[in-house]
Amino acid sequence: MKFREIFRFEFAYQVRRLQTWLYFAALVVVAFLFVRGNHLADALYADFYLNSPFVIASVTVFAGLFWFVVAAGVAGETAARDVETGMHPLTYTAPVSKAEYLGGRFLAGFVLNALILLAVPVGVMLAVYSPGVEAEVVGPFRPAAYLTAYGFIALPNAFVGSAIQFAWAALSRRAIASYVGSVLLFFVAYGGMFFAAIFLERQDLAALLDVFGHVFITSDLILGWTPIEKSTRLIELEGPLLWSRLVWFGIALGTLAFTYLRFRFAHPTASHRWSRLTRRREAHAPTPPLNDIARSMISMPQFRQTFGSATQLRQTLAIAWDSFRTIAKSRGGLVLLAAIAALAVVVMPENMSNMGTPLLPRTEYVLTFLTARLTNPLTPWVITPLLIVFYAGELVWRERKAGLGEITDAAPVPEWVSFLGKFLGLGLILVAWMALLTMAGVLVQTRMGYDDFETGLYLRVLFGLQLPEYLLFALLALVVQGLVNQKYVGHLVALIAYASILFASSLGIEHNLLVYGSAPDWSYTDMRGFGASLGPWLWFMLYWAAWALLLAVVARLLWVRGMEGGLRVRLQLARRRFTRPTAGAAAAAVGLVLTLGGFIFYNTNVLNEYTTASGKMERRAEYERRFGQYANVPQPRLTGTNLHVEIYPRRREVEIRGAYQLVNGAAAAIDSIHVATDSGVETGAVAFDRPVARVLADENLGHRIYVLEEPLQPGDSLRLSFEVHFKPKGFRNSGGGASVAANSTYFKNDWLPAIGYQPRRELFKPGERRAHGLAPRPLFPSLADAEAGQDITGEAGDDLTGAERIAFEAVVGTDGDQTAVAPGALRRTWTEGGRRYFHYATDTPIGNEHRFFSARYAVHEEQWNDPSSGSGRVVAIQVYHHPRHAANLNRMLRSVRASLDYYTRAFGPYPYGYIRLIENPGRGIGAHADATTIDYTEGFSRFNPADDSRGLDLPFAVMAHEMAHQWGVPYAFAEGAPLLSESFAWYAAMGVVEETYGREHLQRLRRFFRQPSPIPPIRQSVPLLRAMDPYAAYRKGPFALFALSEYMGEERVNLAFRRLIEKHRLGAPPLATSLDLYRELQAVTPDSLRYLLHDLFEANTFWELETERATAEQTDAGAWQVTLRVRARKVTVDPAGVETEAPMDEWVPIGVFAPTEKQGADFGETLYLQMHRIRSGEQTITVTVPREPSDAGIDPYHLLIDLERFDNVEEVKIES
Amino acid sequence: MELHIRDVSKTYPNGVQALRDVTLTIPVGMYGLLGPNGAGKSTLMRILATLQEPDTGAIHLGDLDVVQQKDAVRQTLGYLPQEFGVYPKVSAEALLDHFAILKGIPDKKARKEVVEALLRQTNLWEVRRQKLGGYSGGMRQRFGVAVALLGNPKLLIVDEPTAGLDPAERVRFLNLLSELGENSAVILSTHIVEDVSELCTRMAIIDRGEILLEAEPLGAIEEMRGRIWRSVIEKGALAEVERAHAVISTKLLAGRTVVHVFSDAAPDPGFEPAEPDLKDVYFSTMAGHIGRRREQPEPEMAP
Repeated sequence: MKFREIFRFEFAYQVRRLQTWLYFAALVVVAFLFVRGNHLADALYADFYLNSPFVIASVTVFAGLFWFVVAAGVAGETAARDVETGMHPLTYTAPVSKAEYLGGRFLAGFVLNALILLAVPVGVMLAVYSPGVEAEVVGPFRPAAYLTAYGFIALPNAFVGSAIQFAWAALSRRAIASYVGSVLLFFVAYGGMFFAAIFLERQDLAALLDVFGHVFITSDLILGWTPIEKSTRLIELEGPLLWSRLVWFGIALGTLAFTYLRFRFAHPTASHRWSRLTRRREAHAPTPPLNDIARSMISMPQFRQTFGSATQLRQTLAIAWDSFRTIAKSRGGLVLLAAIAALAVVVMPENMSNMGTPLLPRTEYVLTFLTARLTNPLTPWVITPLLIVFYAGELVWRERKAGLGEITDAAPVPEWVSFLGKFLGLGLILVAWMALLTMAGVLVQTRMGYDDFETGLYLRVLFGLQLPEYLLFALLALVVQGLVNQKYVGHLVALIAYASILFASSLGIEHNLLVYGSAPDWSYTDMRGFGASLGPWLWFMLYWAAWALLLAVVARLLWVRGMEGGLRVRLQLARRRFTRPTAGAAAAAVGLVLTLGGFIFYNTNVLNEYTTASGKMERRAEYERRFGQYANVPQPRLTGTNLHVEIYPRRREVEIRGAYQLVNGAAAAIDSIHVATDSGVETGAVAFDRPVARVLADENLGHRIYVLEEPLQPGDSLRLSFEVHFKPKGFRNSGGGASVAANSTYFKNDWLPAIGYQPRRELFKPGERRAHGLAPRPLFPSLADAEAGQDITGEAGDDLTGAERIAFEAVVGTDGDQTAVAPGALRRTWTEGGRRYFHYATDTPIGNEHRFFSARYAVHEEQWNDPSSGSGRVVAIQVYHHPRHAANLNRMLRSVRASLDYYTRAFGPYPYGYIRLIENPGRGIGAHADATTIDYTEGFSRFNPADDSRGLDLPFAVMAHEMAHQWGVPYAFAEGAPLLSESFAWYAAMGVVEETYGREHLQRLRRFFRQPSPIPPIRQSVPLLRAMDPYAAYRKGPFALFALSEYMGEERVNLAFRRLIEKHRLGAPPLATSLDLYRELQAVTPDSLRYLLHDLFEANTFWELETERATAEQTDAGAWQVTLRVRARKVTVDPAGVETEAPMDEWVPIGVFAPTEKQGADFGETLYLQMHRIRSGEQTITVTVPREPSDAGIDPYHLLIDLERFDNVEEVKIES
Repeated sequence: MELHIRDVSKTYPNGVQALRDVTLTIPVGMYGLLGPNGAGKSTLMRILATLQEPDTGAIHLGDLDVVQQKDAVRQTLGYLPQEFGVYPKVSAEALLDHFAILKGIPDKKARKEVVEALLRQTNLWEVRRQKLGGYSGGMRQRFGVAVALLGNPKLLIVDEPTAGLDPAERVRFLNLLSELGENSAVILSTHIVEDVSELCTRMAIIDRGEILLEAEPLGAIEEMRGRIWRSVIEKGALAEVERAHAVISTKLLAGRTVVHVFSDAAPDPGFEPAEPDLKDVYFSTMAGHIGRRREQPEPEMAP
């Protein structure tokens, strides 16, 4: 009865409060925005319903996170309101048992939270059914979808969250502690999950620690479910989801039990250990005795009060220092910040890896971990703005919370002084935070044995770039608290403000002038420095600082002082406070906002064209609508390019004068030339060596048409010359652009005019095409089209272009202290007028994709002599690298030499006289190959395989992979193309790795390939011959080729490639396709293995091989008889996920191994490894080995494509 | 510096009229504002302390307009609210020093002297290094006085200051105030009649937002002479006496009831003349026998 009354009263109390419904409303908004901002686009493109169980479940998870942090006060209040309001002497002395009191209060908190979380389905439904959603993405209404998400995700979260928040607040007797509890659980749970997943590589453990259902959504659903499943399948309470729910339910119950045990109906006194130490000082002081009254009449000293600016400065500083100390000494203050920094020190080194290989902690790299833009939601540093919101609330309410509000408000302190003081205090906290982060960074470097600290860079980035953004936000948070004048609503409003900063761009607000505190990204790399990224950033920051000043004026005007919180009176007061200095400040702020805003707008929208993401898409659609008709108009083929390039790094300008040699390779005469120009540069006049008439020039869409007065006859050629000028005008909304900077320049030939209609500009995602009213088109040209000899010249993304082979020549000029690099052999270099010139020319035709570099490179040069039968061929190896980035130089060179050795032998001679490795200024860690050139981004030089616990030299393998591209054939842009490029390159690189480092190292590389990260397996797909996805290109393709080489010998597979290369290397049409390779493979495959070739390439086949049990028995002769019970199955899977079982009766290796001796090796010494005939289903195999076995299994090295990674080999049980 | 309050009214958003055409003149010295709980004392005090806005009316402190020139008023204002708290983890000395800066004493040496003098005066010098969280109610109240006294205010507003004090504390505290009254206008709001009678040179009685009487306590008591009559009766007879006479107060004394009655002439043989005190003034005013209520009929209560 009492329990019921306690519950009823508490529930009724909070359910009538505005705050509760504000949480509800906020959650509705969040859910709505999540659906519209995050899932609507996906649903359109990926073809699942917007109201599918999947979307509802994931919105429930993410909105739940928001609830968890924002609404922690609900449960906190139920636990601690009595003490905080001073009611506890009345309630604690009532004849109520602890169980009734705590139980009733907790239940009320839980029910309230469950009620608030009902906002999620409401928000989802609003987002689905209110206007603005295409009808085709809305599926049938299914109550079960909402109920399962609410019941399996939201309700358990509400219980766990309420329990933790309740416990913290009840035991600390402060409602605010529930927020601390929330944040801590957030970090502990995520930290634990992270730890389990990354360090222990225990996904199962991570799933178990999954408090909010986050892992479930992100890993199981997003990756594992097909679009059809996403649309239809209901989430079920089973497997990891069930277990994680149970684990956390248990933890919540434990927490509640602990709370019950520790809670006392007692007056709050210091009880924890720390305060016991300091208790003596805090105990009641004895009241001093009253002196004799007459004697105590002491005259007050005479002094003068002053109220000039000096006093105001002193007051500001006093308030600032007091504010700083308050926050710093509080529980959520410096201790928490230091703990977070310490956590960063622990976590960061483990995260400084790429594909499992450790990276050198160079300062520029460490800083990417320590900084985050205010507008970036996907970073752990969202904690900083969240803490700022919290701190701002504490500071604005400090006096009033302590009951000193009336006294301080009556003190002669101007409003702006208190505001500025609090802002400075908060600023000091942020300064301390930046200092802690600096220390964290240096500590990380020290821990990792790196000692080039670059303190100046830390200071510039953290204090010069990061701090101002946080300060801007801190000001906003203070202003919000001041204006709202209700602490928790203030928190909520500030959080909503923060959320709208974070998600503005996904809601279509992209201009940085419209999103508080946002600016184009700055970037820093060792080679480029800040480049041109600082200027635009600074202008935007100044602009927002002016806004901040204006906000501060508004805050000063509406600052609540005393008892008057009503809007009318506040406006009245504001009128009175609008004194001349205030008006001056406001006018200055408005003036600055207008001038700076105007200047920025002039740069971003007048000097430059401002395009939104949707605007860009519309332009692509418009291009197709207007010029798609010319897609099949025959055009001459490019055979030669001659350029004069002048790079002016300091002016950030590039001038290019060039000429193309074009040949009519078609059977009919060509009467018009289509020239596509790039929107990033100014393309001047295009001239021809024969009379033409320009009939169309659409500069906006970048298309010009010239009609030849005399048609170009088949076989004839013409010369087209052009001028291209790159000159940034001011800056764009996206910033200053990184292509040309004072320290380094890097651009591609897509600045140059291209011939013909450019299909790659078309929109290709089905949803995007549908949205713009374009007819569907296949994502990639089909293999059948390619085979039929259609003109597929390779106009697609970076990796697939440049199929035609051209002669290339260029003179490149740059600053006197820089080195410029372009394709071709360096013919000559000279200095003229303080500038250096480089003349490059090819001696063998190369693909039409090239890049230009200029920087202060250090150059390493050496020679490789072809060892094969005295050919006398010499290849020059040149490395252009940043002088400080030489750590991997020798490793890369070793890989290049080993590749030259191996590939020359396996696939034929290297076709050029030189190979160039060029470090490419910029972030990122990739490498990329063009003919004669491999460029790698700066990050690649950070690889530190010496510290790789797997003992794997990944950068060596990657470099061998890029080298293999040099032997790649020009191929048609069609289905299955990656098999000829990426799959071939990895297959070839495996050979180099094995030859250099041995078989065991190769197995390490293959083990890395089998990991689902970074490229997760895709089961439902087309056969390799037609596949385009990354899993097929980088994993399954190389595996298939490797399996083939293991079954029939490396020489045969290499021979197939050698023949393919000989036939297609010159790139004459028709270009090579995956079928050409397949024919070569068929030619070398013995009949007995034709089935395997078919399974690997012509069907999307998966083997399911499993050793159920392995036992061994010692024979009388002292040998060991090993018996394996294995199960085998083979299926093909189509893109829709339909599985068809194929009967199996084929050779599969069976292996038995001795105990492992070396760390990191899969197995010990091989005792037995033979092919066995394996049928579908279960079977028993018995083999005899000479020594005591440890492991045994089927296909121990995973030659066949089997997605289950851990069940092939079992530990052998010894039977006596 | 005199404080002039002219026709000040204040109505809260919920319809409660807290002040109704209040007009007062408050000279230098101790001024008592007497009234029952909820009479509007605190509202008036907060308006005088620049923390609330009157709906109508004007308030001037010397040449200063209290409503318009808040900043200037605050520079010469001391305010001790009815309820206030402290930062529990700060020492008295440190917090007083902080307030000294806020009150316009930036010079470190001057501040040190002032803080010391005030802490000695409020007898907190010995405990100045202790955290305020450990202070008793009386000590906390004294600390509040110290804060209010910072900067030698010309206008000192103390709202119900003696509520939580023990008798000895109270005496000492009132003495402190009267000392200040020598140079400043000190307004003391209270519902305890003795506070006023012992200290104040002038006083006003306020009820339901209205000033009922403005007088000098001694003069007011003198005016009552011969109009207050006392009788000791049985408890059961009270109803009858109330019907027949203008009873202004009753109290129990050893099982019987002492009745004070207001009457210009001797009401009844059972009554004897009583020596009037400020309580009689207060109750007579509240009952409407003297002061403003006598001059006009009882106003209708707001619904």
